[in-house]
Amino acid sequence: MELEQIKAIIVMMKENDLSEFSMEQDGLKIRIKRGPEGFQQTVSLPPPPVAAPALAPRSDAVAAPSIPVAVDPDIKYITSPMVGTFYRAPSPDAPPYADVGKTVDEETVVCIIEAMKVMNEIKAEIKGVIVDILVENAKPVEFGQKLFAVRVK
Amino acid sequence: MFDKILIANRGEIAVRIIRACKELGIRTLAVYSQADEESLHVQLADEAICIGPGPSSESYLKIDRIISAAEVGDVEAIHPGYGFLAENAHFAEVCENCNIKFIGPSSAAIRAMGDKVAARDTVRKAGVPIVPGSDGPVDTEADALKIARQIGYPVIVKAAAGGGGRGMRVAHNDPSLVKAFHTARSEAERAFANGAVYIEKYIESPHHIEFQILADQKGKMIHLGERDCSLQRRHQKLLEESPSPILTSDLRKKMGKAAIKAAQSVDYVNAGTIEMLLDATGQFYFIEMNTRIQVEHPVTEEVTGIDIVKEQIRIAAGEELGYDQKEVEFQKAAIECRINAENPFSNFQPCPGRIDFLYTPGGHGVRVDTHVYAGYVIPPHYDSMIAKLICYGRDRRTAMDRMARALDEFLIRGVSTTIPLHKLILKDPNFRRGRYSTSFVDRLLAATQPLVPAANREEPTLKTQAA
Repeated sequence: MELEQIKAIIVMMKENDLSEFSMEQDGLKIRIKRGPEGFQQTVSLPPPPVAAPALAPRSDAVAAPSIPVAVDPDIKYITSPMVGTFYRAPSPDAPPYADVGKTVDEETVVCIIEAMKVMNEIKAEIKGVIVDILVENAKPVEFGQKLFAVRVK
Repeated sequence: MFDKILIANRGEIAVRIIRACKELGIRTLAVYSQADEESLHVQLADEAICIGPGPSSESYLKIDRIISAAEVGDVEAIHPGYGFLAENAHFAEVCENCNIKFIGPSSAAIRAMGDKVAARDTVRKAGVPIVPGSDGPVDTEADALKIARQIGYPVIVKAAAGGGGRGMRVAHNDPSLVKAFHTARSEAERAFANGAVYIEKYIESPHHIEFQILADQKGKMIHLGERDCSLQRRHQKLLEESPSPILTSDLRKKMGKAAIKAAQSVDYVNAGTIEMLLDATGQFYFIEMNTRIQVEHPVTEEVTGIDIVKEQIRIAAGEELGYDQKEVEFQKAAIECRINAENPFSNFQPCPGRIDFLYTPGGHGVRVDTHVYAGYVIPPHYDSMIAKLICYGRDRRTAMDRMARALDEFLIRGVSTTIPLHKLILKDPNFRRGRYSTSFVDRLLAATQPLVPAANREEPTLKTQAA
């Protein structure tokens, strides 16, 4: 668990007004509580590995940190159909194709993924309202990676 | 030396390449399909990028996505492994154009040896004996019949764009030749998008002997000895060994020289293998060249002590081979058994599924190259090989005894495997005497069928404390 990931969790808790967050991943347990005194966190580290082979943790440059969220059936995701670099706007000075709150339909262009110097316009292919943008501008994306969360109802 | 390499493959060979990179201090980027999210190569690599859904045509064969991943991951070289894009001249060319080093020969050499008809012609001109056959592709049924009668039956019809034992049909007479000709053409069209076929004399019960070649970019080329891969079923290898039990040192010298001549005829660089057939009279013939690392490379590694994958990377990085032909020593005898998730007594029906229990053999002279682990689910989209068991020792007898012992310890539960068949092979007196050829496995299976209960072969189990 990186410091950056813990900071991201704290930001998410503030933004969504959550008072408690806990997760377990690969034997690491973390619990963050937010009270009037501010944030408290307890982190317990995994016991030293006994029999399992020490597989090196993958420093995932491309995947978003996997923070579990409640599964909302009305939320669908626009995923990347290719490997490349994600751009929110057609050029650095232009406004982004899609912000949170934008209504999209199947033909709406929501972003560009650049692969091998070719700028590919990516269409939403679903109807709904964008509720979250899951990748930062100019970051690399892989096939199947979630780009936008869309509320379809 | 490279800073970072992308491995354009999966399974055990991807693990093999990652291991070599780690030992050389090179960072690794794995690409994987959605069916391979839990795969070992993904977990062992420093970074991993998903390139598509399960089917290979949507992922591991997607040149654009792999090159994209290479650019996103900022790698300097790509190792293609074997299969997939390893012998795709176009892929090698794209890498060359994108300034990414393809760890293997040039696209020109891949192309020259990839066309099996052109390859025959090229090596023939270099003075290497080839199997008597058609001078080029055979286009009509009438031509096929003429050539077959000229060469003399039996003949084999092969796909010009094939290789690796695929797209081949044997014919013993005119009617079966006509059928073989048409079937081979349509199969080749479907499998390789190229229906061109050629015809060779079919050498009955030959030994399949291949020579491992290593060549650096400065023009030095050596061979690392032979591997006898005669134990096959439907042209797919089951077991390989070195040295070949039937080669004399004189034959080894002659064939080694011919192998080098063949590879030099296409200015070959990096690791490659020259495949030859040896008939009962001691005559040998070139059949094809594999312009990649091969599945059975560990056999040669254990005999010579040379790490072939590391040499591939070093050669691609521009280093010279650090030794001459005369410095290559054949110190050991080694045997490899390919363990597939198939039921050998049920017509080799593939058995994808979850591996519930796994114990891999160990001890002196035992090597297991695998990507599977207990709890791993074998996906259905790819070939069924799940492990390679390599045993070696000071002589063939030691290697065989060790292999038989190791096979007895190798426990895989949850899927059927070909381990029981390998046990039978290792017990067979003719195999032990080194007396076998490409028809051996079929005859062994035919003789064994009535003795083996179809399902429910009880495998010995380890007593574990957990239930």
